[in-house]
Amino acid sequence: MSFKVLKPGFLTTIQDYGRTTHGAHGMSQSGVMDEHAFCWANHLLENDFNDAVLEITFGGVELKALDDAVISVCGADLDFKINDQAALIWHSVKVNQGDVLSWALPKRGIRTYLAVKGGFKTPILFDSRSVNLRENIGSKLAENDILDCESSSLELDHFVAPQYIPNYNQDIVLRLLPSYQYAEFSEAQRALFFNQSYQITNANDRTGCRLDGAPIALEQEKMISEGMSYGSVEIATNGLPIILLKDAPTIGGYPKIGTVFSLDLAKLAQKQPQTKLKFELMDIHQAQKQRLKFNQFFQISPN
Amino acid sequence: MHKITLAGENSILIYFGDKIDARLPKNITNFANALKTEFSELIIDLTPAYTSLLVSYNLGKTNYLKFAADVERLLSGFDFSSAVERSELIHIPVYYGFETGLDLERLLAEKELTLEAFVDIHSSQEYLVHAIGFSPVFAFLAEVDSCIQAPRLATPRIKIPAGSVGIADSQTAVYPTDSSGGWNIIGRTLLDLSLNNPDNLNKFNMGDRVKFYPITRDEYIKYGGIL
Repeated sequence: MSFKVLKPGFLTTIQDYGRTTHGAHGMSQSGVMDEHAFCWANHLLENDFNDAVLEITFGGVELKALDDAVISVCGADLDFKINDQAALIWHSVKVNQGDVLSWALPKRGIRTYLAVKGGFKTPILFDSRSVNLRENIGSKLAENDILDCESSSLELDHFVAPQYIPNYNQDIVLRLLPSYQYAEFSEAQRALFFNQSYQITNANDRTGCRLDGAPIALEQEKMISEGMSYGSVEIATNGLPIILLKDAPTIGGYPKIGTVFSLDLAKLAQKQPQTKLKFELMDIHQAQKQRLKFNQFFQISPN
Repeated sequence: MHKITLAGENSILIYFGDKIDARLPKNITNFANALKTEFSELIIDLTPAYTSLLVSYNLGKTNYLKFAADVERLLSGFDFSSAVERSELIHIPVYYGFETGLDLERLLAEKELTLEAFVDIHSSQEYLVHAIGFSPVFAFLAEVDSCIQAPRLATPRIKIPAGSVGIADSQTAVYPTDSSGGWNIIGRTLLDLSLNNPDNLNKFNMGDRVKFYPITRDEYIKYGGIL
């Protein structure tokens, strides 16, 4: 079973749950930007939580099915069509040999996930199939690439109940854990951070999301570099936040005011530049409870 | 001095000191190994750097309070003095020349050193791996002799060739792949540190020692070096 790439799109890469065990070697976590949509895409096909999917950013993609297959598409509405007919997302879908699957442009959200039964079988590099362009691990999709997967005659009729489908146009508030140097920021600095609406800039990619707003004046701009967790929020020399995402470097030396809760980062992954957002404080126990529930539902068992 | 801080919803950061110190890479590596042995079921990943260790753990098996208490207990009874020194010594051949050392001519003028003296200072000492990061296989080595220290360039270069050896303040490093960067480039090695060879992922570990040795222009070219 395989797909042929007719149009590779703007930024289309194979991703899985990530390369979570190589921090000591300076290797990024990598993996899908929207864990929520990714998990549903695999769940609908009764896949393993870590099966590799295609992360399509903005669209511009056309694939041809070289055999029959069962797929699911979850995440942004990128005008998904099969043979020029609007097709279902958040739903298992049967495709036939010769069908052309296309994603033209973003209508709601910016990233969508194509899952196939059993996952895409691209090479495993350093314990993950995730492509990381910054680290030259794998490459983005190119015209005429062949994407292999298991053949499956499975008949499925699974879909995501409407109440679980996010509205990507909704404003977001990012819940922040008081981690790292949080306590070293003054009351006034924290007030400025939590009370303002920041705006997502164009410097928003798989590495990080730079925000624009009223800068926080820092006394100490640089510190000894230390390990940075997914979602940690650096305050750069210009006083503005950078949210570190899946392809971020493993260590860095800017003070960090906190760490965004992962399921809110999934929402952030669907936002265009210029979008406004705010932060609010979150308790670690709440975060762990909610994430654990998510992990249990999707049968995520890291390492 | 030890401190445990929240780092993320499934991670903590352990500080072993508040200043860069040649004893810390060894201590942190040893403690990381002890953690791995003691809590192998709970730990997902360990990221050491300079004075700290980032630890991510499996939320399905423990939680913040329990895990921080476990780590605290191990820390309080840990004998750092008995820690075994890593003995890995990695040799890196470098052609220190004006064609490969893009900043060498300027540094010699600034430091009022001859090429021989500069090369001798950089290559005569053993450096210690204090951290790995920026990109995979990029090892931060310290401490550079104060006679040849130089601050990062005000404007980073867009492209530095793979194998370039740089200096930034008290640190030196080799760029494993072509990349942008602001370090002062003083030479280049032929050693392939890229992940084209997957074994390179384990080339450097925190606490390893590194020594550079100079090779001539002829040797550099003979073994395939590009100017």
